[in-house]
Amino acid sequence: MCKLALGLGLALVLVSGASADEAADLVREADRARRPADSFVWKIAITSQEAKKAPSVDGFEVFVKGGGRVFVRFVAPPRNVGRSLLALGRDLWIYLPDAGKPVRIPLSQRLVGQVANGDIARADYAGDYDATLVGEESVDGVACHVLDLKARSKDVTYSAIKYWVSKEGRRPMKAEFYAGTGTLLKTGVFDNFKDVGGHRLATRLTLTDAIRKDKRSVLDYGEVTVRDLPDKYFDKNYMKTLD
Amino acid sequence: MRRGLAAALLLAFAASAGAEEGEPPAWAKALRLRGRLAEEFAYRLHDPGDVSKIKTLGWLEGKYAVSESVAVRAAVRGWYDAVFEATDRYPANVERDQKTDLSLREALLLVGGGDLDVRIGRQQIVWGEAISTFVTDVVNPKDFREFVLPDFSELRIPIWALDATYRVAEGVSFEGVWTPDTRTNKLPKQGAEFQFARFPYRFRNPVVRLPDDADEFSLARSEGGFRLSVLRQGWDVSLIYYDEADKSPVLFQRRVAQPPGPDVIVLDPQHPRLHILGATLAKSFEPVVVRAEAALTLGKRYETADPLDPDGVVRRDTLDWLVGVDYTFFETVDTALQLSQKVLTGSATNLARPGVAAQVTTSVTLRVTTGFFDNTLNPTVLVVAGLNRGDFRLSPRIDYLVSGAVTLSIGADIFEGPHRTLYGQFDRNDRVTFTTTWRF
Repeated sequence: MCKLALGLGLALVLVSGASADEAADLVREADRARRPADSFVWKIAITSQEAKKAPSVDGFEVFVKGGGRVFVRFVAPPRNVGRSLLALGRDLWIYLPDAGKPVRIPLSQRLVGQVANGDIARADYAGDYDATLVGEESVDGVACHVLDLKARSKDVTYSAIKYWVSKEGRRPMKAEFYAGTGTLLKTGVFDNFKDVGGHRLATRLTLTDAIRKDKRSVLDYGEVTVRDLPDKYFDKNYMKTLD
Repeated sequence: MRRGLAAALLLAFAASAGAEEGEPPAWAKALRLRGRLAEEFAYRLHDPGDVSKIKTLGWLEGKYAVSESVAVRAAVRGWYDAVFEATDRYPANVERDQKTDLSLREALLLVGGGDLDVRIGRQQIVWGEAISTFVTDVVNPKDFREFVLPDFSELRIPIWALDATYRVAEGVSFEGVWTPDTRTNKLPKQGAEFQFARFPYRFRNPVVRLPDDADEFSLARSEGGFRLSVLRQGWDVSLIYYDEADKSPVLFQRRVAQPPGPDVIVLDPQHPRLHILGATLAKSFEPVVVRAEAALTLGKRYETADPLDPDGVVRRDTLDWLVGVDYTFFETVDTALQLSQKVLTGSATNLARPGVAAQVTTSVTLRVTTGFFDNTLNPTVLVVAGLNRGDFRLSPRIDYLVSGAVTLSIGADIFEGPHRTLYGQFDRNDRVTFTTTWRF
């Protein structure tokens, strides 16, 4: 009996370990659907809408280099031009022309609409969250794995994410973002998949407020340029030069 | 200056016209022009209630990327304050000083190669982590003609300087600054809306104040320093040294015999040499950001009302330090809280400078900002309070983003406290403000 229990226990550990590996692989593959290469520049437009009001559009140029380095330049509207964000791992700075210097800010601070700074500058789920497979569901007719993502530290944008990844192609389909209290903050839907430079990428993310369903922001990922970016682009002391 | 401005505007129109006909030429792609126009109106609340500002301002900035590693930048600013047509409350010297302005805010050559970046020309060099105060932000002189109410990028006076940054290793950089441009702070003239409280001299003799002719280019009086910045595991630390002349005048006294009449007290504004050692620190403990800053100023001098002091000036090396935290409540309310102190190495008795309430002067800053209606309506409240004597500044403001280019702002600046304090000296200068800004 003891040997049976031990064997079952070991089997459970191995199975859960294997499940954990598979969950981590799923998240890693889904992350790839949101970044075309190790070093690239991506133009993003965020359209924010509330109820029946006219939508507002903010434009960004996002420079990404492997290792969690992201530089975001604000290119529209005119009132935001000159601003920029720099994320190095979980450390975030904003450069404001009125201040004339980069200022350290938290990931959770508001960027625009439903989008937190971390949504743009830090979207590496595999690096930030521990994943667990919890089931299977269909999203818009697409069979998906369902994963629970728990933050590895307090230094990430969301405490937990419920994540739907398609079985075929391992593409991100949907996500629910939670605060530390367990409160659902917003939901996200990934769609408009396109082939970019040999990669199948999600080029649209729609974020909807959990309480006010009429408040949403749509991130449209536009022109992408794959090129090797200099390291100094990701130095906070260089932000004023990139203005 | 005006011809240059017109040429820049023509270039901008030519570039946009070229774009309408098809692909813009290569030089137009490398050129970036932007600017803004603003109308600022302020109304003084206390007797005499009256307009105190009807200012039209314009900025034009350009950047031309010669290559991947070389660029040139230029920026100009101009203003016209019609308040001097609307009221005769201000004397002629204030009108001459503040009615119009046309200045070169930036004229830079940027050259980068490998790990070295050099910026040569007229510029602002900004150090520090603080909000709403200057601790290690010591390189540029400041324009205090409207106290500290404008944005700090408008307050700083650009200087001609060489600023070189070398990336020593990943996360480590060394910046060196040198300037022969020894400009000083611009202070409000007698009779200006925000003139500083006068020092409480009690002279029985006649007094003559000499002019402050310190502004000049001088290799012998060059200023400079360095900053070593290190980023390790999220800890953002820098060490600073800067050698400069005090950018505010210190009034040294001397008696001059004038027989057969009484001796004359001569107040001679000087700018003693200062050596500033500083450090800054910032770290994110998500969702909180902690920042700290300190500057030890060696050679700092203050006027004293002690009648026995031979030159009316005493040396008090000064330590300024602050610590602050940023946190976002309810996912929408951004707050920043900051505690700061100015500590003198010696007694503050008989020193009557606003901002120095005691040997240890403590103040607290709180800034709260949020957004409504998809962040088109953004209220902000800034409170800065001196804890020694209870003086404070309260500046609420609402920004309404009419469109991506147009912003309307309504606000107020309220000052309270004893007269000889930093904010209490403007107790009767409370005002409401209305600003319209168009960016292009």
